Amino acid sequence: MGLMTAAVALPFLMAALCAALAGRLGRATGVLAALAFVPALLLASRTGGETLSETTRWVPDLGLNLVFRGDGFSLMFAVLIGVIGTLASLYSVTYLSDRERFGRFYPYLLAFGGSMLGLVLSDNLAALFAFWEMTSVTSFLLIGLWHTRSSARDGAVKAFLISALGGVALLAAVAMLGLAGGSAQLSQLDLDAVRASPLFVPALLLTVLAAATKSAQLPFHLWLPTAMEAPTPVSAFLHSATMVKAGVLLVAKFGLIFSVSPLWSGLLVPLGLATMVWGAWLALRQNDLKALLAYSTVSQLGLLVSLYGVADAEGRFAATTHLLNHAAFKAALFFVVGIIDHETGTRDVRRLSGLRRALPVTFVVAVLAALSMAGLPPLGGFLSKELFYETMWHQGPLFLAVAVAGGALTFAYSARLLRVFTGELSAPKVPHEAGAGLTVPAALLAGAALLMGLWPALTETLTRTAQEALAFASYGGHIRWWHGVTPALLGTLVTWALGAALVWQAPAAQRLQERLTPRWNANLSYVLILTLLNTLASRVTARTQGLALPDQLRLSLGASALIGGYAVWQAPQVLPRLGTVPLEALPVAALLVAGAVGVALSRNRLTAVVLTGLTGFGSAVSFLLMRAPDLALTQLLVETVTVILFLLVFRFLPGVRDLPRTRGRLGLDLLLSAAAAAGATLLVMASLRFLAPPISPYYLLNSYKEGGGKNVVNVILVDFRGFDTLGEITVVAVVALAVGALVRLGRPGQAPPEVDAEQLAAPAPRRKP
Amino acid sequence: MEPLFALLIGVLVGTGVFLLLSRTIIRVVLGLAFIAYGVNLAILTVAGLRPDAPPLLTLKGPYVDPLPQALVLTAIVIGFATTALLLTVALRAYQVAGHDDVEAFGDSLARDPDSPDGLHADASHLGPDEPTEAPTSTRRAPRRPA
Repeated sequence: MGLMTAAVALPFLMAALCAALAGRLGRATGVLAALAFVPALLLASRTGGETLSETTRWVPDLGLNLVFRGDGFSLMFAVLIGVIGTLASLYSVTYLSDRERFGRFYPYLLAFGGSMLGLVLSDNLAALFAFWEMTSVTSFLLIGLWHTRSSARDGAVKAFLISALGGVALLAAVAMLGLAGGSAQLSQLDLDAVRASPLFVPALLLTVLAAATKSAQLPFHLWLPTAMEAPTPVSAFLHSATMVKAGVLLVAKFGLIFSVSPLWSGLLVPLGLATMVWGAWLALRQNDLKALLAYSTVSQLGLLVSLYGVADAEGRFAATTHLLNHAAFKAALFFVVGIIDHETGTRDVRRLSGLRRALPVTFVVAVLAALSMAGLPPLGGFLSKELFYETMWHQGPLFLAVAVAGGALTFAYSARLLRVFTGELSAPKVPHEAGAGLTVPAALLAGAALLMGLWPALTETLTRTAQEALAFASYGGHIRWWHGVTPALLGTLVTWALGAALVWQAPAAQRLQERLTPRWNANLSYVLILTLLNTLASRVTARTQGLALPDQLRLSLGASALIGGYAVWQAPQVLPRLGTVPLEALPVAALLVAGAVGVALSRNRLTAVVLTGLTGFGSAVSFLLMRAPDLALTQLLVETVTVILFLLVFRFLPGVRDLPRTRGRLGLDLLLSAAAAAGATLLVMASLRFLAPPISPYYLLNSYKEGGGKNVVNVILVDFRGFDTLGEITVVAVVALAVGALVRLGRPGQAPPEVDAEQLAAPAPRRKP
Repeated sequence: MEPLFALLIGVLVGTGVFLLLSRTIIRVVLGLAFIAYGVNLAILTVAGLRPDAPPLLTLKGPYVDPLPQALVLTAIVIGFATTALLLTVALRAYQVAGHDDVEAFGDSLARDPDSPDGLHADASHLGPDEPTEAPTSTRRAPRRPA
């Protein structure tokens, strides 16, 4: 097993192990869980080298193989998942409450980790989709971890519904790509064929939809903030650093296929920028620190989508740099918010201030991470923001202006986040600095954010690991502090000025925001759509199911008639010739038809039963005609018992009653009966041709030799197919028990009435061979 | 002879369906019995109706196909058991409902579409993109570690 396969498989195995051991290990399960990411971390040693490839055969005939392809970008992403996964596992060891069900939390977390690693490494399109869906499912489980809270349930359902919508779109998209490109593997698609195919544009649109739902782009951003119901380590891992970037990953990887179309960047760049600005605007309005970070994540994802959506070397280079920076500072900030929540018991920005003295380490971490988010030197965020502005300037001044607006809002909400540390100390309970279990993971990430700023060459090396995979080898730009006086630098200065103004005039900005609050928002429309769907589903169910028996049957029979009718229409009909009809067949036919017509017309129950008996005896005579004396005998006996049974039951039923159908229903019923009659006739006629030689000569030859009987039918029943007969007898016995129980039920505490269970249960008369 | 029986089978099945759609419960049971008659004959008919000897080795061959006959023999007995069970269920249904009109048995599963099923999203639950006045709404309640 190769290292990549191990990196994907180990988290799943460890998930099972954690589930088994959690009862004994308690919170220490998290340390075990962190070990699951070791192979992913080891992948770091393979970056920069040749593209790795590992194949596990599964269903080769269907093109279903687990193919992992470790190009630079995938490996970089996998290592990122490994790092954040390890830190989140370790952080949660201290963070979670003692009452937490560790046997659920860690398996879910590891299953997610494995799915996410599979998603980034998978080269097979079907596996890519499967891992994509698995991340949705595990995310659902993690958001709903505290399922006793209705908000957690709502958040989980909302996240799942929206990502499932994207999942369906992705399934269609990869199916189209596989069809058009002639391969089940992403790296082996025939790009020219895909681009020439009529499926190109639909696949493109579906991919955009999938990416937008997963990466919380407008108008699907609504699921991410409610996903913050998950425990904070989960938010840091899934909903900021990794899973929400699956959509970004899709844009990055599939951009190589779709970027030839102007539609691709024409859709993604405005979408990303709009999400960036709107997310930042909403983030500035939040009082819950975690909600603020959630909207900030929406905004930053918009930035990444717009950069990858530009789909040139420059954009991909800038996006990859920012992707790394964002993972570092955003996960660090989530950890910081977790610490604040843990130590003060609230995340409300209005109830917290002056935490810098009580939480000095956390304060330093928060400042570093927030400054990186705001794009200030000397942090990594500054460098990637410069690259972002540069790229947007090349798209046009308007794009730069929007980007700057988003940047200024980002600056402002970063400052708002830091407000909890300034001023006089105020918190619901006296905070103490958290233990090393919480601060060290946060500090490591903040340190990474700082290092990426102080050492641009390192950042560039990291970014360039992805260059082959994302085809920005041609991009000659470098990450530097000083590029000269460029539009990007001017943009940065304007950002700082605007951001500082927003911070300075914070109350005024807040009033403005409240005045501009739209009456309508995405969340309301989500609730509306869901309510409408539920109502529609209930109505359809009420109309089509659970009707009174005849109506339900009419519906089913009507559907069968339509489907069967279509089949008959399509099938070539062979009408066999009448052949010779022996004279004795005619009275039999008359008997059968007379019984049938008589029953249909009879108004009287007794008449109906007697006429049914007529048909029964008619069919017994038919059996004789068909050279089946055993059947004729059995049918005669059964018919007799049945008629007696009916007459017994009539003792308890009401007198003669006429329950006519309405005229419309009568017509419909006649139509359905005619259709059934025609269908049965046509089916019999069509079945007259043999498709294979009959197997019955075997029974004729061996009946006496092996069964010791000369009546072949009886030998088949009691010898060759003896077990079938045993089953049949069992059915009869079960029916006897059921009949007995039903009859007893009618008169509780009394002797069974005259309908005698033993009589009903009398085994069918059968001649022995 | 097969086309003749194909037609007869059609008549039997058609009658069965017509009875099945009746409102009286006895006629529903009779309808199923009629469909069973039709199907039993159909199984024999599709094997081909030839004027050969019955599959009794004491007679001289050639014999007709014994396998469909064995199948139908089983089917007759099972059909009888089904009829008996249905008849008892019909009787019981009459005892419970007080009438024998299947349309009025009141077993309609149709649910009031507006009744709460616990699946609706809580419209009053405000996501964070709704500004809230009080910081103590459920959404914002801090998780207090033990």
